[in-house]
Amino acid sequence: MNQQMESLKKRVRAGEHRSLRQTEPIQVLAECEAEGLSWPRRVARLIRRQCEAEQVVIGPEDRIAFTRTLPAVPPIYSPEDMARLTAGRTMHELGPISNICVDWSLLLKQGLLGRKQVAKATRERLAHDPQAVEFLDSAIESMEAVMELAARYARKARAMGRDDLAGVLERVPAEPARTFHEALQSLRFCHSVVWLGGNYHVGLGRFDQTMWPYLEADLAAGRLTIEAAENLLAEFFISLNKDSDLYPGVQQGDNGQTLTLGGVTPDGDPAVNELTRMVLRVARDVAMIDPKINLRISAQTDLDLLSVATELTRMGLGFPQYSNDDVVIPALVAHGYDLEDARDYVVAACWEFIIPGRGMEVVNIGAVSFPAAVDNALRDGLAEGEDFDCILDRVHGQVREQVNRLADAYSHLLLPPAPYYSVFMRGCLEQGRDVCEGLKYNNFGIHGAGSANAADALAAVREFIFEEHSLAPDDLLSAMDKNFSGREALRTKLEEQGPKVGNNDPKADTLLVTLFADLAEACEAYGRTPRGGILRPGTGSAMYYIWLASNHAGMREPEVGATADGRLKGQPFSANLAPSPGVRVRGPISTLQSFAKIDYRAICNGGPITMELSDSVFKNPESIRKTAMLVRTFAQLGCQQLQLNSLCVATLLDAKAHPENHKNLIVRVWGWSGYFCELAPEYQDHIIARHLYEID
Amino acid sequence: MTSGVVFDIKEFTIHDGPGIRTTVFMKGCPLSCTWCHNPEGQSRQPQVIRSLAGERLAGQRFAAAELAALLNGQADILRLNEGGITFSGGEPLLQAEFVAEVIDLLKGVHILLDTSGYGNQLDFRSLVERSDLIYFDLKLIDREKHQHYTGCDNNMILNNLKFLSVSGKPFVIRVPLVPGVTDTDENLAAIAETAAGLSGLLYVDLLPYNMAAGSKYEYAGMEFKPDYDEKRPLNVNTLLFEQYGVKVNVE
Repeated sequence: MNQQMESLKKRVRAGEHRSLRQTEPIQVLAECEAEGLSWPRRVARLIRRQCEAEQVVIGPEDRIAFTRTLPAVPPIYSPEDMARLTAGRTMHELGPISNICVDWSLLLKQGLLGRKQVAKATRERLAHDPQAVEFLDSAIESMEAVMELAARYARKARAMGRDDLAGVLERVPAEPARTFHEALQSLRFCHSVVWLGGNYHVGLGRFDQTMWPYLEADLAAGRLTIEAAENLLAEFFISLNKDSDLYPGVQQGDNGQTLTLGGVTPDGDPAVNELTRMVLRVARDVAMIDPKINLRISAQTDLDLLSVATELTRMGLGFPQYSNDDVVIPALVAHGYDLEDARDYVVAACWEFIIPGRGMEVVNIGAVSFPAAVDNALRDGLAEGEDFDCILDRVHGQVREQVNRLADAYSHLLLPPAPYYSVFMRGCLEQGRDVCEGLKYNNFGIHGAGSANAADALAAVREFIFEEHSLAPDDLLSAMDKNFSGREALRTKLEEQGPKVGNNDPKADTLLVTLFADLAEACEAYGRTPRGGILRPGTGSAMYYIWLASNHAGMREPEVGATADGRLKGQPFSANLAPSPGVRVRGPISTLQSFAKIDYRAICNGGPITMELSDSVFKNPESIRKTAMLVRTFAQLGCQQLQLNSLCVATLLDAKAHPENHKNLIVRVWGWSGYFCELAPEYQDHIIARHLYEID
Repeated sequence: MTSGVVFDIKEFTIHDGPGIRTTVFMKGCPLSCTWCHNPEGQSRQPQVIRSLAGERLAGQRFAAAELAALLNGQADILRLNEGGITFSGGEPLLQAEFVAEVIDLLKGVHILLDTSGYGNQLDFRSLVERSDLIYFDLKLIDREKHQHYTGCDNNMILNNLKFLSVSGKPFVIRVPLVPGVTDTDENLAAIAETAAGLSGLLYVDLLPYNMAAGSKYEYAGMEFKPDYDEKRPLNVNTLLFEQYGVKVNVE
């Protein structure tokens, strides 16, 4: 990364560009109402007006143009009308479609003019179908708005004497990209406008696959050197950090600007190319929270690539996150995905596996609270004097009930129209159907949260009540009711002597396996949803590990008090797949062995094993290589997904005490990375408390 | 079947030998080096560690077969990743019979013995024979100073080093650099002279003093009493080794 990029990064971090933002959002509601526009036409009008109101910002040296100046996405319906429109329906999260993956190659290969031609042809063919016509008109209006915005940028560049940039902007996004620069610029425009229209968690797809042909041609023709390409890529990555504070998310940084690298082609051939390695290198040099990087690997991935990836992990950004193709692809196929599509998967905002351009999936409709299922089963079963197998049956029943409740709530899902988003999904313009009406894959994802704590609780009960007979059921229940007040000895015994997930101890691991088998079975038993999809079980926890413990309004399941693994009321649960907080484990090998036991063929929604390694691990090339071996071991053991962090506890503690000194400290939170000092205190504390493998 | 006391088992110990390794820390050490950073390794008995993270018992008794089964569960992974098992401590020689029995039960995995060299020669031979690589600590050549700073005579250590050099096993001499104690030119020259010409010696590893050495004492209910100036700059004089033709590394 050259001096120019270093200085651009500093300016973006300092937020200089934010002073150019407009103070008030635009208004479109009045004209939508006056004209009595339909929902799709209102969305198109919104995008048109947003594009028109964008002020052109080109820095003197910018080569990737577009800086958002609009502060917000204005409403297109009054609250009353929105309530009427959505009465009796379930809206997912904020409402607008989010967290699906675009097929950006449609844009790069055809250009917006090409996509517009497709829309026009379909419109002629389906002229008798008012719904199709309305959708296609809305899509065309959106595309024209984006092209006009780009034309204004081009004129400004020309006026500034920036003929180099003007040439690019006059070409894309209207025309197909011919060069790496044009491809990046086209992507920057069209990606940003998705956000301007209110959709969110917009990813960048299989970046090394869609972009490589352009870079390869440039390199071959001598238009670009590797170094020049790296600087262009760095500028693109930095640009993704300009507007991200305007993007919605549960916490700052949770914006889903992910990209996926590596893996195999739809034909099954190795897909790693020079751009794969370049992205890893440039992301390391840029060291900002966007884009978040996923790397698809397998047991055969060479240590050289994993070492380059480990150099990125070393930066402490919390990525790349690894997915194991050996496990993910068969799991997707087992859940009804065509093999070619499964091989083309990307990782969504956090960790779910989705197919670019082919899925209108809602990958996170909620999470089963395993601790609640276990807690209810234990309380009822122990009170009834049941044996352990009966308690496990109760857990299964509880998981089923929760899955059914979550899925039923989404049986009335309402997805708002998204005519502009549809432009980049396969088949929408071709068939005159908005993405909200569904695509090839229309599945829902449900995660299982708090799994390690729940398995540990069951393991402690089996060990102490049913095998050792050293603990009476009533005694345990009353101690839990009192939050172990006055029962510190019992709590310590449960916490320290019980079998724990993460130590490769079959006594705990078999129960972890059972919990996910229960979840998979419950999802399968539910059958098809009204949208024609299935329920995909997953191992993630998102924010649920905090919500479950704190009676958050976003949780359907009630708060769980003190639990049988010795956890006190209010303490958070394990995040994703990780040993319970505070549990001492021997280290990463045993932890991988524990989580390798889950039947991942039945679990296809993703959710990573989450590991923190002390930053001291990354000191020299030899230890970098050993860390690469650890990642390869993750794949060889048949685990599904891995999130590896470099973390220094002393630094985190200091950052909590003196946030002013650590403004750039980046940590992995759940499926994303954010600035540590910008996280709410409970998330900071959880990260500090999360198990750290002390290696010195 | 013998049993032994282990104070920790740590995985992915990347500084304890080649490849991915798991290190078994044997509890109990005959030496009492004033700079020891593993005070919970000194006593042979299990003891309570009280830290910010709560209390825990350091020290678990294992039957040899039980420990071997646990380690064999990882043997394939360690082998595939150019690594193996490291026996460290404390001092493995103090529980030589147990360690030997465990090693005999392990399934073809690289063994590294990390030792102070302080132990009777039969025990030392027994463990060296079973190991693929030996990390041999050498602290002070001067007999009186060794006695003063470690509480032990170094005669047995130097004799075992001689045996090691004729055993045919590859080994590394590791020198903890303690400011003003082991890092003097006099001591380093004496170590270099001792190391020169030892067959099987791969290199000498100089381990700079770690300011965190005293951090565990309070948790172990012990007092850290360094009789040297921790903050004094280290003398990392590698030239002395090069003069004797001894390959040297600084970690």
